[in-house]
Amino acid sequence: MNKPSQRIIAAIVGLIFLAAGVMKEMDPAGLAVDIQNYRLVPWTWGVLAALYLPWLEMVCGLALLLRRGYRGALTITAAMLAVFLGAIASTRPRGLDISCGCFGHGVHRGFWTELIGDAILLAAVLWLLRADFQRLSPVITSEVKT
Amino acid sequence: MRRALRQIIAILALPLLPAVATGLLHPRKPSWQSDEVTLAAATAWGSDLLWVDARPDADYAKGHIPGAIQLNEDRWDDLMDGVLDHFTTSRKIVVYCSSLSCQTSHDVARRLREEAQISNVFVLRGGWEAWTAERRPIETSPTGTQ
Repeated sequence: MNKPSQRIIAAIVGLIFLAAGVMKEMDPAGLAVDIQNYRLVPWTWGVLAALYLPWLEMVCGLALLLRRGYRGALTITAAMLAVFLGAIASTRPRGLDISCGCFGHGVHRGFWTELIGDAILLAAVLWLLRADFQRLSPVITSEVKT
Repeated sequence: MRRALRQIIAILALPLLPAVATGLLHPRKPSWQSDEVTLAAATAWGSDLLWVDARPDADYAKGHIPGAIQLNEDRWDDLMDGVLDHFTTSRKIVVYCSSLSCQTSHDVARRLREEAQISNVFVLRGGWEAWTAERRPIETSPTGTQ
């Protein structure tokens, strides 16, 4: 990760995930209700996600901020954002008008704000992943040659 | 690639321990039992049931489940006495809001458990929409009265 722009974007994404994780962790019961409101998984799965997800977000956020396990954190963050995006997008056709639970229980920013915000974050993370792969590809190529 | 895989496994494993701690120790840990009940299950409780309407004042005035007591977060202190007047320990409270996707019934149910220390509190799945969809009788009355 050489370019300052990539460092800045990674730090911003890391901070956002860290903050989102901390806010979710303040009220896991509320988060379980928010997950239940998506009507995608049974209650027990929602509870498991409500216990695990905030910490996963905090670990990923810290990893991006400290640049430890950077590529792994980016991959998991991209996967999480893709799942969140799909879940949010699925609410509109099913007539659900719910809080996304992205930044804690009861914070409702509106469907499009949440969808676009998530899409921007996902695009940023995919861009960082691509840059990271491009940075390492010459190393991998030379390793293969030797 | 192998390094990235190791990072992913480490990042996914790291949150497990704090997630377990959250599930055991967090003051707002989610319950493993869903608090939602279907309309059929709730009505089967008969006279042991106390309906609580968590919708805004105007919606309650337009129509509510016969006998339902109004309790919403906007006028919690004003309306709480009405609930306590009708509540006995043998009765189950079922809270409802407008539809499947509304959250206020969950929030009101949680406050009843936490603040009023009432354990038999449930949420009606589908809310007011589920009631009207079955063309069940409705009652109209001025806001805040039963």
